[in-house]
Amino acid sequence: MTLKTMTMTAVVALGTAAAATAEEVRVYNWSDYIDEGLLEKFEKETGIDLIYDVFDSNEVLETKMLAGGSGYDVVVPTGSFMARQIQAGAFQKLDPSKLPNKGNMWGAIEERTSKYDPGNEYSINYMWGTTGIGVNAGKVKEVLGEDAPIDSLELVFNPANMEKLASCGVHFLDAPDEMIPAALKYIGEDPNSMDADVVAKAEPVLMAVRPYITKFHSSEYINALANGDICVAFGWSGDILQARDRAAEAENGVEIEYNAPKEGALMWFDQMTIPVDAPNPEGAHKFLNFIMDAQNMAAASNYVYYANGNKASQEFLEEDVIGDPAIYPNEETVQNLYIKEGYPPKVQRKATRLWTKVKSGT
Amino acid sequence: MRRFVLIAIPYVWLLALFLVPFAIVLKIALSDAAVARPPYFPQFDWAEGIAAFIAELDFENFVWLTEDDLYWKAYLSSLKIAVISTFFTLLAGYPIAYGMARAPEEWRPTLMMLVILPFWTSFLIRVYAWMGILSNEGFLNQFLMWIGVISEPLTILNTNSAVYIGIVYTYLPFMILPVYSALERLDGSLIEAAEDLGCSRLTAFWLVTIPLSKTGIIAGSFLVFIPVLGEFVIPSLLGGSDTLMIGKVLWEEFFSNRDWPVASAVAVVLLLLLVIPIVLFQRNQQKQQEAE
Amino acid sequence: MIHFQNVTKRYGEFTAIDNLTIDIYEREFYALLGPSGCGKTTLMRMLAGFETPTEGKIFLAGQDIAPVPPNKRAVNMMFQSYALFPHLSIWENIAFGLKREKMPKHDINDRVEEMLRLTRLEKFARRKPHQISGGQRQRVALARSLAKHPKLLLLDEPLGALDKKLRQDTQFELMDIQEKTGTTFVIVTHDQEEAMTVASRVAVMDHGKIIQVSTPDRIYENPNSVYVADFIGDVNLIEGTAKLNGSDSYAMSWHEGHAPLSIKSPNAFSDGQKCHLAIRPEKVAISADQPAEADNAVQGRILDIAYLGNISTYHVELPTGAVIKAQTANTRRIARRAFTWEDTVWLSWTATAGVLLAD
Ligand SMILES: Nc1ncnc2c1ncn2[C@@H]1O[C@H](COP(=O)(O)OP(=O)(O)OP(=O)(O)O)[C@@H](O)[C@H]1O
Ligand SMILES: [Mg+2]
Repeated sequence: MTLKTMTMTAVVALGTAAAATAEEVRVYNWSDYIDEGLLEKFEKETGIDLIYDVFDSNEVLETKMLAGGSGYDVVVPTGSFMARQIQAGAFQKLDPSKLPNKGNMWGAIEERTSKYDPGNEYSINYMWGTTGIGVNAGKVKEVLGEDAPIDSLELVFNPANMEKLASCGVHFLDAPDEMIPAALKYIGEDPNSMDADVVAKAEPVLMAVRPYITKFHSSEYINALANGDICVAFGWSGDILQARDRAAEAENGVEIEYNAPKEGALMWFDQMTIPVDAPNPEGAHKFLNFIMDAQNMAAASNYVYYANGNKASQEFLEEDVIGDPAIYPNEETVQNLYIKEGYPPKVQRKATRLWTKVKSGT
Repeated sequence: MRRFVLIAIPYVWLLALFLVPFAIVLKIALSDAAVARPPYFPQFDWAEGIAAFIAELDFENFVWLTEDDLYWKAYLSSLKIAVISTFFTLLAGYPIAYGMARAPEEWRPTLMMLVILPFWTSFLIRVYAWMGILSNEGFLNQFLMWIGVISEPLTILNTNSAVYIGIVYTYLPFMILPVYSALERLDGSLIEAAEDLGCSRLTAFWLVTIPLSKTGIIAGSFLVFIPVLGEFVIPSLLGGSDTLMIGKVLWEEFFSNRDWPVASAVAVVLLLLLVIPIVLFQRNQQKQQEAE
Repeated sequence: MIHFQNVTKRYGEFTAIDNLTIDIYEREFYALLGPSGCGKTTLMRMLAGFETPTEGKIFLAGQDIAPVPPNKRAVNMMFQSYALFPHLSIWENIAFGLKREKMPKHDINDRVEEMLRLTRLEKFARRKPHQISGGQRQRVALARSLAKHPKLLLLDEPLGALDKKLRQDTQFELMDIQEKTGTTFVIVTHDQEEAMTVASRVAVMDHGKIIQVSTPDRIYENPNSVYVADFIGDVNLIEGTAKLNGSDSYAMSWHEGHAPLSIKSPNAFSDGQKCHLAIRPEKVAISADQPAEADNAVQGRILDIAYLGNISTYHVELPTGAVIKAQTANTRRIARRAFTWEDTVWLSWTATAGVLLAD
């Protein structure tokens, strides 16, 4: 729930009103999620004007999609959100004949994304990652000892550990869709359960560690980790790796490490789709096809440190991307990854309410 | 004809910018959430006629608001935050307004500019700047540690204190301007008369200055209180996750639950709660005009 | 009771009060008269405690009042603008000072009622200041400043806003109140007639200095300077040179070809000294024929007649070009008035009618 995006989108909305004379494609993607060089490359190759806006909350994107008339040709929702939006009729089916590069996609990923988008008819995968634990290893070991369970949910859901960690600072994502499944996984329940009673079981787990959490926030932990303000963050893989690089650049002695919890980590997918009322679906297809080009996709991943769903791109990936198990997990870890679909409205309400209670105590 | 147009303008204004949006929100509040685009039902359909449409509306969502204690707790918590921050804004704004009104005449436009100047930068940027000031390694802590007042950084950001600081800072001009205009009109000889009749400086202030700036104080307090009650941005940026405010609850209903109808119901109730202070505010303004 | 000792007040470079020494006595009605900006209000404000003298000392009942703040002085001021508290009723306005003294409640009641009666405001006690007339407001201000039994009451142009009739009534009311209460009044006014009417002593000021302090009649009849003579009332000024002519008589030559004027003056002049004869218009007689036994007589032509109802003022141009004003009481109807424009007439006055003043 970041506001930076809300203002940006407001500014963008004004821009959208401008008349479309030359052919243009409007893309709405997450902030800091592409190599800007690719945008220029696209314009040069196709002669289409590319208008690129950013957001950083699924909720904001979803509201635009549900309200309709966003004016965008390509948007990038996360899988669980997208599933619901497909149901609401927010997107149009892709035309495979206009996507010759679709053959580059990675079957293993497509299989998983078909849970959200059966048959991958509406979307292609852009990036994927895991939700896990970032630690300032030195500090955590200082507090919990050398054998601190930094690769386990024990670290963040066991109140005994959390009580000690509170002194050096812990951030959780402010995202019930991520945190509730993790809590369920910790107590051995199905993280992807759509049963309200099962979801409710996450509440005592979260309430027990709530007093020790410094903040629930979905982006501040990048800086906080890098600066050494906090020692643990439950967050998105790419963000934590970014924190790791920032700390390394700053040479402030902070060493950040990312682990997908060994009990199992949530795997998420950001999917590129075309809104049902896109002004230029033709151009949108051209953009998707451009992104699916192996070299382009590799360039994007090399830039943002996230894994992508493009098998052909892997030969162009740099070693510190393809070779980093935090980005491209090894087989064993992949076995443990789980995915989560969107909650139906009634359960969603329960989840939100539960989350409000966790955050505010009310 | 021209008279008619002149009279009509405020009504058209009211209709276009308040009543029509309110009617739309109310209509959504009376609908049911649905997986659709837009995500509620019923949609108005000319073919089926208005009667069929209205028959689908109900007050279910308002009933729901009474069933979960979250809502009234959030309303109360907002009320509390609004009252406290209005009080602190008054506490901070009054002396500033007083100083401005007492300053030499030729300085006053400059001082006024200084009060208004921050409005020229985006409100969000200013709130972000406060994050930089208040954070653990922010300017405030660095300064306090440098002068040796504290040895460990204070945690201010993400607490209610930060929310109060942000609100007082943001809404200060809304307090200063009406109080200043009341104080500026105050005849200095009244204070001298009070002193002449046996008041000390302080009693003269209590017995003359405060009562005579009362309309300004009331106007300023409402101008702060009313928007703060529905404030969302400041608590989300500066507050902690436990800062409960109705604006945040509304946001969650709308964005997390995608329950536009319940979100609209929350908004309608908030508006109705605001009507009371707004009416009181109008009264005060009217009284002030009559007094002149 | 009050003693100003070499008091000077400067605002930056500007000197508002210039080395001033005066005394004001108990139970006196003391009027300060002078042109705008001469320092009257400044003087009052120093007495009330709102300004401190730059130099010199002010004594009240023998005590230096410099360290006493305004709220501790037994001095009350009635402000030029009245300064009534708009948020309080008339009753509360009058009671304001009494409450500060922590006076018992029923004593306050009695005192306020008394003040209301004195100023005939009983009917308005519950109203707010903006609900009464200007004259009534002025009386409230007076009642409020009197309520505390001040030893000294300062009135800064208290009647400036009133019409002539109301002003006159109020002047008599003020005198009446002063007599009844025995308070010392210091009144500032622009209006010399008002000062003459109410005051037991009048001080004429100019540029922060006191020019003359005296009873109203002496100020009028015996001004000590051309400035005072000119400032108070109407006056004819004739310039000339003095020549001693007996013990206190002078012959003043004023224009070639005219007989010198014969004047009796207590002020001493040396022969050939430049001087002014100041003579009030009502002391100049006007006649068609040359008066037989006048000390001084000159001929002239009527230039203008100002009819003021009870009196008329004739502006008579002398052959020298000077214009002399003469006043007569209108005891007859206009239709049968003796003189009209362009008539040639004689003006005459006695040797004691005017005063001889130094340059
Ligand atoms: N606060 C001040 N700063 C500077 N000069 C001042 C101040 N107050 C008064 N003066 C000056 O001192 C002089 C005397 O002022 P004062 O008010 O005593 O005049 P006044 O005799 O009461 O005039 P008026 O009859 O017009 O009321 C004026 O020339 C005025 O400009
Ligand atoms: Mg004055």
